[in-house]
Amino acid sequence: MTVYQRIKRILFSLCMLAVALFFFFNPSDPAYKIVVAILSLGLIIAGIKDIVFYFTMARHMVGGKMILIQGVIIFDFAIITGSLANVPKIYILLYLIGVHAFSGAVEILRAREAKNTVAGPWKMKFFHGAVNIILAIACLVFIRQSNTALIIYSLGLMYSAAVRLIDAFRKTAFVVIE
Amino acid sequence: MQMDFHYYATYCAAFIAGYSHEESLDIAYSAQFVDHCTRTLLSKIKGPLNAATTQMQLEMMDSRTDSLGLQDITRIWSPFHFLPRDLYAVKEKKCSKQYLNKYRLICGPNGDLVEKTVELAKGRPLQSVGIAMHVLADTWAHANFAGTPSLVINNTNYVFYELFPDGEGYKEKQIKFVHRTSVPDDLDNSVYTNSLYQRSENTIMNLGHGRAGHLPDYSFARYRYLPAWGDYEEIVKDNPSDYMKAFTQMIYAMKFIRGEHDAFTKDTYDTDAVEPWLSRIKEIIEKRQLIASDDWKAFGEELSGKTITDYSMDTYFDEYTNSPEEEKDDTFLGRFFLGATVHKGMVIDEIFRSGNMLAGFSKKKD
Repeated sequence: MTVYQRIKRILFSLCMLAVALFFFFNPSDPAYKIVVAILSLGLIIAGIKDIVFYFTMARHMVGGKMILIQGVIIFDFAIITGSLANVPKIYILLYLIGVHAFSGAVEILRAREAKNTVAGPWKMKFFHGAVNIILAIACLVFIRQSNTALIIYSLGLMYSAAVRLIDAFRKTAFVVIE
Repeated sequence: MQMDFHYYATYCAAFIAGYSHEESLDIAYSAQFVDHCTRTLLSKIKGPLNAATTQMQLEMMDSRTDSLGLQDITRIWSPFHFLPRDLYAVKEKKCSKQYLNKYRLICGPNGDLVEKTVELAKGRPLQSVGIAMHVLADTWAHANFAGTPSLVINNTNYVFYELFPDGEGYKEKQIKFVHRTSVPDDLDNSVYTNSLYQRSENTIMNLGHGRAGHLPDYSFARYRYLPAWGDYEEIVKDNPSDYMKAFTQMIYAMKFIRGEHDAFTKDTYDTDAVEPWLSRIKEIIEKRQLIASDDWKAFGEELSGKTITDYSMDTYFDEYTNSPEEEKDDTFLGRFFLGATVHKGMVIDEIFRSGNMLAGFSKKKD
C-alpha cells in the first residue's frame, strides 16, 4: 500500500465512523432519509463504476457490452431507489433481518465446516456468524422501535470502519529473500 | 495439473533426469505439496504463513477482493500456479494500464520467469527443485489464464468445444458446463464442472481457469474456446502435446539443475531422454480418465524398479512440529517453506519491478 492509499483509507474510515456515531446517537427521520440517499448514491456509483469499467477494461473482453448494459440498468435502479425515501421502515427492518440471519447462518455453517474438515481457524468465523444472528434478533425484538433500522445500520458502519482502519496499518510489502 | 502429473510424472521425470529413487521421491513430494501448503495448514503446524503456496476453497471464499485482498491472492496464485509469460506484453489495440496489468499476468510456457524459476532452484535443496517443477509444469497446463481474479481475462463463454481425433482431423462436441462440485466430471458426455459466472471483475470465481473447469488439468483434453482477452480469436488447446512438452522440459530443467547443462535455454525439450518410452508416455497422457496416477506410478516403478510410496500430505509434519525452533529450517518442510518464500519473493519482485502493482510491493531483506 502506498502512503497515499494508507492516508485515504484512514480518512475514509474516520468519516465512516463519524457518520455512524452521528446516526447512532441522533436517530431521527431526517437521518433515515440521509441513509436512503446514501444507499441510492451507492447504487449510482456502482452504475457509473460499471460504465467506467466497460470503457477502461470490459470493452476488450469477449461479450463485454453486457457490462455496459448492466451499468445503465443499475444506474436506473439507483434513481428509483432515491425516490423511495417514504417506504415504511418495517420493510427495511425485514430486509435487515433477512440479510443478517442468512449471513449469520452461512458463517456459522462455514465455521463448523472449517472446524470439522480442516481443523483450521474457525473461532473468528463463528464470532462473525453469532454477531449477525444477534443483530437479526435485535431487529426482530425492536421491530416496533422506529429507529432500530438506523441503529443497526450504524453498527454495521462502525464495524466496517474499524476493519478498514486496522487494515490501513497493516504491513503489506513482501520481503524478498535471496 | 493434478497429483498424477505433479507427483508421479514428476517422479518419473526426476528419475530420467538422473536423480536417485529417494531424491526423485523428495522432488515429487515437494512438487505435489505446492497444491496443499495453505495458510490453514501452516497455522496448524505453526509454519510461516508467508510460505503459503495455495489457498483452499474455504480460504478463497473468505478472501477480500479490495486491492489488498487481490494482492494477497495474486501473490499465491501467480508465482506457483499461473506464472506470467510476459510481464512487459503489449496489446495491439490501445488499452488502459489497469487492463494491461491484468493482461500481463496471463500464464504461459517459456517466459522469462520460467527461466528465472529454474535458475533459482539450482544449487538449492531438492524441495526447491520440486517447487520449480510444479511451476514449470503448470505454465503448460494453465496457459492463457491469469493467477489473479479477472473477468476480462479469465472468463469463457458457450464457445467451448472438445476435440476428438477422427481420421486425419478432429470431430467436435460442445462442452456442457455445470456447477455441481460434488459430482465428478462426466468424460463420456463432455459434461464438466466450472465456476459460476459472476459479472464482478475481481470475484474469486474469475480466478485462473475456474471458468474452464478442470479441462486444463486433464492431460488427454483437446479443446477450442474463446478466451475473454483474445479479441474474438479462438484458441485450440492441445493438452497431450503440451503435457509431453512439460514432461520433457522438466527433464531438461532438472538436468540443468544437476549440472549437466551450462545454461537453461527456453523452448528446449529433452526428447531424446524419453525416446525409449515415448509410446508408453503418450498412451498415459492420452488416456481419457479423471486421474492418471496409477498409470504414471506403474511407469515410474518400472523405471526405477522401486516402489513409489503413495503421496501422503502429512509425511513430514511430525518432523517439523517436533523440531526445536532453531532447527526447523533444516527439516524437510523447513526447506520447502524457505524455497517457497524465496520463489514467491522473486516473482513478486519481478511483477513489482515491471511497474505492475497487482502483487503489491516487495522489498529486499536487509
